[in-house]
Amino acid sequence: MTGITLAVPSKGRLEELTREWFAANGLVITRPGGARSYLGAIEGLPEVTVRFFPASEIARELIRGNVDFGVTGRDLIHETSETGPQSVAIARPLGFGNADVVVAVPDAWIDVTRMHDLADVASDFRSRHGRWLRIATKYITITRQHFARFGIAEYRIVESLGATEAAPASGVADIIVDITTTGSTLTANALRVLEDGVLLQSEACLIVSRTAKFSARRRAQLDSVLSRLGAEVSL
Amino acid sequence: MTNAAFRRTNLEALVEAQGATRATPPLLLPADPYFDLAGEEFGRRLLLTTATTGAEYCLRPDFTLPIVTDYIANGVGQPAAFSYLGPIFRQREDGPAEFDQAGIELLAQPDGDVALDQVFTFARAALDMFGVSPNIRLGGVGLFEALLAQADMPAPWRSRIRHRFGHPEALERLLKRLAVSHDTKPQKQPSRADLVTDITEQMVAAGLSLAEGRTPEEIADRYLEKQALNDAHVPAETLALLHEYLAISGPVLQSLTRIEALAASRRLMLGAPIRAIRRHLNGLGEARVTFDASFSPRLDYYTGIVFEMTGRTGDVLASGGQYDRLLERLGAQAPIAASGCSVWIDRLEAEFRQ
Repeated sequence: MTGITLAVPSKGRLEELTREWFAANGLVITRPGGARSYLGAIEGLPEVTVRFFPASEIARELIRGNVDFGVTGRDLIHETSETGPQSVAIARPLGFGNADVVVAVPDAWIDVTRMHDLADVASDFRSRHGRWLRIATKYITITRQHFARFGIAEYRIVESLGATEAAPASGVADIIVDITTTGSTLTANALRVLEDGVLLQSEACLIVSRTAKFSARRRAQLDSVLSRLGAEVSL
Repeated sequence: MTNAAFRRTNLEALVEAQGATRATPPLLLPADPYFDLAGEEFGRRLLLTTATTGAEYCLRPDFTLPIVTDYIANGVGQPAAFSYLGPIFRQREDGPAEFDQAGIELLAQPDGDVALDQVFTFARAALDMFGVSPNIRLGGVGLFEALLAQADMPAPWRSRIRHRFGHPEALERLLKRLAVSHDTKPQKQPSRADLVTDITEQMVAAGLSLAEGRTPEEIADRYLEKQALNDAHVPAETLALLHEYLAISGPVLQSLTRIEALAASRRLMLGAPIRAIRRHLNGLGEARVTFDASFSPRLDYYTGIVFEMTGRTGDVLASGGQYDRLLERLGAQAPIAASGCSVWIDRLEAEFRQ
């Protein structure tokens, strides 16, 4: 295989910001077929193939080594696979797409301000209510990893693919793990982030796959593009 | 002649020789009971599949749960013994994997000591077939619970400490938190009735059900308890005792002697659980046996004595112990004596080839 593949978010604000950031660094990403095309290029760099993917698929493809480098959120790397962080190298954060993955509980839980309070509540939840404490989230891997770190094992995850903040009011779950930028959605839903409840600080990053196979030639191509972007990695 | 097939045949014979019913639970099992029993922590190790109805199933990740569930469904009370040998499936770092496991489950046996001895004997016989003379690590769940029950501290802290037993980092964090002295004057607390009213208003405003999950009363009580606990210190001597106890780890006789000395100096009655451990030592013979005071599986249905056996590689080859609270957790009406173990056949084979 010759040439290298760059994965770029296929739509929305993230696509715009990514292309703006590359342009600001002197590399113009083209998308000849418009928004419905999934192949593109970088002007003047014929060795780079650009592929447009949804951000979560970019994380998956980087971890599997199907694309060589790409732009996606740190949260998605951690969520896609337990071994995600080891499978990639962060070449550089891009300074946009900032958001935190947080643990939030109902405001009314005045006794729960930190994770160790949650550990206590979880530990006898089952004996009080005949079921486990339920956590709504789309961040299943991140939740499991961090709750294990805090020594909390007594809970069940309810997978939530949208409007997670509504889960406590709708009775689907007791608390949530969700991504937030300003916290206003949480506040509007009478939810409060625990004092030590930030599980992950995420932002869009330029990320290189460690599982992709780089020949000397492809590695040189990668390093050359990265250096033009002010980034470098050791793989 | 010693090849893998020969060892396997021997192991089959050992499993059959336990005077037990050979259990062969289905390979495909409902996943919910596993999540219910062991939570998400274990759940992430399951190989899941979804029925067209949306119900989740998993490939058998262990034998104990289906064996014990089936025993309860058929009416508890009669002593029963089960043995097993077959594949289990778990997710690992490097992908899903199929392992062979063998083991025994002894339920409602009249004498828990005798039952545990049989478990030890089974595990050691299995390891012996693979030429392993194991390091045996013992843990005392019953011993720790006895110590905790007698240690001087405000009662609500006991369950919080017990809950973290077996998770050294979480326990250490809690002990550290308890060691920080709060010089703040006890603040005047709002009355429970006022708190309940406030919390109820907040919950109603947020659209939360007052009955489905945590109730306003529960939140208010825990809030008041937490405030009270901030003022109710665990005495420094108790923290020192816990630290000293949890740090005890080493050859079993030496460790038990140290615990006895600790108990004597602190006037704790730990004779019964210590004797319980001593009773099993003769049966363990020449093996290298250590006692690790902080060792316990992270599952609250374990009781009494727990153990792990390792070989040269350090991998756990056999593990088990007593879990008298398991049957209750799975629906039995009262605690029922239970003990057992499982051995990892693939790891034993790897150990043999070394």
